[in-house]
Amino acid sequence: MGGFFKKNGSIISTFFLIAITFWLIFLILIPQLYMLDLSFRPNLPPLLRGGPDDVYTLTHYKHFVFGSETSKDAYNYVDIGVFVDTIGTAILVTIINLCFCYPIAFYIAKLATPNATRLLILALIIPFWINELLRSFAIRILFAGEGVINNLLLEMGLLDAAVNFIALDVALYTGLTYAYILLMIFPLYNALETLDTNQLEAAKDLGSSTIRTHWRIVIPHAKAGIASGSTMVFMLTAGALATPVVLSSPNTFWFTQLIYQWFNMNDNWSRGSAYSIILLVVSVAFVLLMMRIFRVTIGEVVR
Amino acid sequence: MSADVELQGVSIAFGDFYAAKNVNVKIEAGEFFSFLGPSGCGKTTLLRAVSGFLEPSEGKVLIGGQNMSGIGPNKRPTSLIFQNLALFPLMSVADNIAFSLEVRGVSKQARRKRADELLDLVALNGQGDKKVHELSGGQKQRVAIARALAVEPEVLLLDEPLSALDLKLRQKMRTELRAIQQRVGITFIYITHDQGEALTMSDRVGVMNDGQLEQVGSCYEVYQAPSTPFVATFVGENNAFSGKVEKVSKSIAKVNVEGTSFSGSVGRTTLGDPHPVGVGDDVIIFVRPESLSLAKGTKAPKNNFSADIETIEFEGNLKNIYLKSNKNKSIRFSVPSVFDTSDLTPGSTIELSFATESAIVLPSGPLALD
Amino acid sequence: MTSNRTFQIFLGLYISIFFLYLFGPLIIMSVTAFNSAEFPSITPWECFSFRWFNEGKIAYDGQRLAGLAADRDLHVGLITSLFIALGVVALSVPIGMSAAIVLTQVHSKLRTLFYSMSIMPVLFPGVVIGISTVVLWDRIATIGGEGIISELGRNGIFLTILGQTCFISTYCFLIFVARLQRFDTTQEEAALDLGASQTQVFIKILIPYLMPAIGSSAVIAFLASFENYNTTVFSILSEQTLTTVIATKVRLGISPAISALAFVIICLTLVAAVLYEFFRRRQEKKKALESAAKMYKEISSDRLKEDSKKAFILPKSIFVILFLFLMAILGWQQIIKNNLYGGECIAKAEDAKKSNFADQLKLLQNNADTLESEGGDGGTGSTNEYNDIFGDPNLFKNFGGFDN
Repeated sequence: MGGFFKKNGSIISTFFLIAITFWLIFLILIPQLYMLDLSFRPNLPPLLRGGPDDVYTLTHYKHFVFGSETSKDAYNYVDIGVFVDTIGTAILVTIINLCFCYPIAFYIAKLATPNATRLLILALIIPFWINELLRSFAIRILFAGEGVINNLLLEMGLLDAAVNFIALDVALYTGLTYAYILLMIFPLYNALETLDTNQLEAAKDLGSSTIRTHWRIVIPHAKAGIASGSTMVFMLTAGALATPVVLSSPNTFWFTQLIYQWFNMNDNWSRGSAYSIILLVVSVAFVLLMMRIFRVTIGEVVR
Repeated sequence: MSADVELQGVSIAFGDFYAAKNVNVKIEAGEFFSFLGPSGCGKTTLLRAVSGFLEPSEGKVLIGGQNMSGIGPNKRPTSLIFQNLALFPLMSVADNIAFSLEVRGVSKQARRKRADELLDLVALNGQGDKKVHELSGGQKQRVAIARALAVEPEVLLLDEPLSALDLKLRQKMRTELRAIQQRVGITFIYITHDQGEALTMSDRVGVMNDGQLEQVGSCYEVYQAPSTPFVATFVGENNAFSGKVEKVSKSIAKVNVEGTSFSGSVGRTTLGDPHPVGVGDDVIIFVRPESLSLAKGTKAPKNNFSADIETIEFEGNLKNIYLKSNKNKSIRFSVPSVFDTSDLTPGSTIELSFATESAIVLPSGPLALD
Repeated sequence: MTSNRTFQIFLGLYISIFFLYLFGPLIIMSVTAFNSAEFPSITPWECFSFRWFNEGKIAYDGQRLAGLAADRDLHVGLITSLFIALGVVALSVPIGMSAAIVLTQVHSKLRTLFYSMSIMPVLFPGVVIGISTVVLWDRIATIGGEGIISELGRNGIFLTILGQTCFISTYCFLIFVARLQRFDTTQEEAALDLGASQTQVFIKILIPYLMPAIGSSAVIAFLASFENYNTTVFSILSEQTLTTVIATKVRLGISPAISALAFVIICLTLVAAVLYEFFRRRQEKKKALESAAKMYKEISSDRLKEDSKKAFILPKSIFVILFLFLMAILGWQQIIKNNLYGGECIAKAEDAKKSNFADQLKLLQNNADTLESEGGDGGTGSTNEYNDIFGDPNLFKNFGGFDN
């Protein structure tokens, strides 16, 4: 510590220390810890908190699993269903995203000319400077009952009545895949770019088919990119709020919307916290899992 | 104003590894002193200890008689010229040079004036407004020197500053550096692995190996009278013959080298006394390539031996003749190029000899690796 | 090789589809902004109009669909967003810089821990960060009693700034770390050796070097804060930002005003992208000129000088732009031809709708009358009967409004 102060001078050192402590402890650590703590406490009005009724309890977590006391079901099928649905959809979307983006990333990294590469990258970035809400809204316009696609298909005579794409979740899937393309492409692109093109040529020379080349050479090399992109897309999809809000139907309900409900509509902050913790744990668990499977470090995962 | 620099028993350790072991030397004020040694011998570490970036683990560094321990590099009367020069890329040449004045709060006018003075000193007049990346290698060197001299330090430390330059430029800069030092009159401490540099520029040289200061002396002393086998082989070329002492008398030792007897003068230690070699000791007798001569027609054939010529190499002003002795030892024999070597052909055997006074006998020790 | 050819064609097709997927929705959305119809659509095309950019209209179901210029909520949200973004930049950039610098100074074991902790916020779902911030400060506010702490702790703007800073600092941190990696530390040593104090080294050497990183992290922080929704929606409490306003609008009622907003943002983005590319090309040209000039001095040949005289090279994208321009002109011609533009078009459409609505009302009335005359209760009637009336499929057709 003394060396640190000596190295930076006392003013700057204090500044650094304050900034870092404020950030790491106060903005990152303590809020999460408090939320964790709150999730174990009963839902008390503000004045009763800290009082004698404020004991540790598992009721919120229990509620997630088992439902309320008045329900007749053995488990809280609704909430758990929403949760499983969210995670499942997130995984599916991630996979779709990966398959969808891989060819493009490969093209930009290997097959395009440098000028084309730059322009393509710019073209990729532009849609993402536009707010996620607006982008989802665009999808909604397309898929709504009175939306563009329906109108077009009706006019062309391919449909007799409007198809409710939204209720069919088509809109949701499209919207979710759309939302995070950039986050899948860039890690893939970065990883693929470092691949030595000579390896591909060597493989072709030795008689390998395109598919095999990709499977045996390119994909293992891009491991880190795949892990990174998949992690980011999964996390953002599972934790997404904007797109589900705009594109969800009565059939689908996103886990984050559930949290929102507990928080803002039922005013049950403890329960909302508990559900948040569940989401957080799943997120982090997924990241760790990906890191394990693909054997990448955390530094490589984040852009 | 220049100051002397003294290292008293300085050792610098990194964990278990000693970069410098018990270094004792006094560098006089106004002297051009070089630390000479191979890579990794500890000379850079010493330099950093003198400039204040390192504190010695043992011993003291004194500048101008004052103990410098605990005093940071920005408070010492030293200026360091880094190996990569470390010029500030975002500043102009003049701003670079005047930086040390800027941090002391000197006015803009005074700074500009001083910068112009220094640009004059290093022959870069009018280049003050250029950016660093617009300069050539040699010019950057001179900016670094000017920058270091701006606050008139008492000691200037130079960390292999010429290693990135090509040969001709290096030779030119050597002369210039020496000239600048003479003009400014401050103490220069120069470190290098190139003995040509060290010998042409310095008043005195300190030869270092593996953290230890093997010998300190004038260029002549270090070349003609090395104290250790390392110095004998690191500075210049030398032929080394290992053997055992047969007889010692009056600073002349008779050494048995694989059956042949050679005589040479006993070398001196760093303190100036002759090495205490006794009969039966393992020693090495050193003969410089240029001290060898053809044995034909010498009056008193002493120190004769025969060897087979392998190759003859032309090095500009010298011809190097590489031979192999009958015991398969490589020998190097140098003559001025004008010397007629037409009758010396590879494969032929010739007789060589050397004078006793020009051979040095030293106790056995590690040689400099080529 | 035919397989190669088919591969190429396939690839080209794929890429086209991909970019169509990427840009299609946005283009369509932009176009709907100009359709005066109340539900964003391309077909049927009512009239070409700028109304959604200006005053909007009041729909016949009583809902006020405001245009961009008239929407006060939007304006308030915009200003709040700006304010928050500035606050976030002011906090995140110094924090990110401090963390990056300190990272380079700690030894390896502490370093991995420190780095991992600094990256963590990116792994948290945005909603979690928003919730934890609100929850914590609510508690602080409660404990703090009356006074400024309790006021702050419940202030949406304050909380949002804190919540966003939490993870945006990580973005800044990463940018600074990347920039610092290529820093030549001997410069700091040289400065020290020349007599500078630590603070002077920091201000005169390190900060100038970090300027590009400071700039880019400020821009990134600003943009990230501006467009954030997940965290903001929880921490904003009673205030509104641009994103929450948009979200509310989208939930309550879809109107082309949102398309109009999107179109404005798209235009701004495109302008920014073009400017960026333009400046980049100029920079590269400048650099090329500089190195050419340097070589010119050393080689002293005339040929290099000629090359540098060549003017602005036309990018190939100019063809795309020309194509779009052409399409726009054609489209415009169509519009003029079919008289789809202008006030009278709108007036006609309104009349058509009004009469349509009048028809609907008549239909409603008829149904009600028939029910009455068929002998139900007098007066208002019970709800059961009204159910039938509203079940009429012709009702509310072509009306626009909600979408279920």
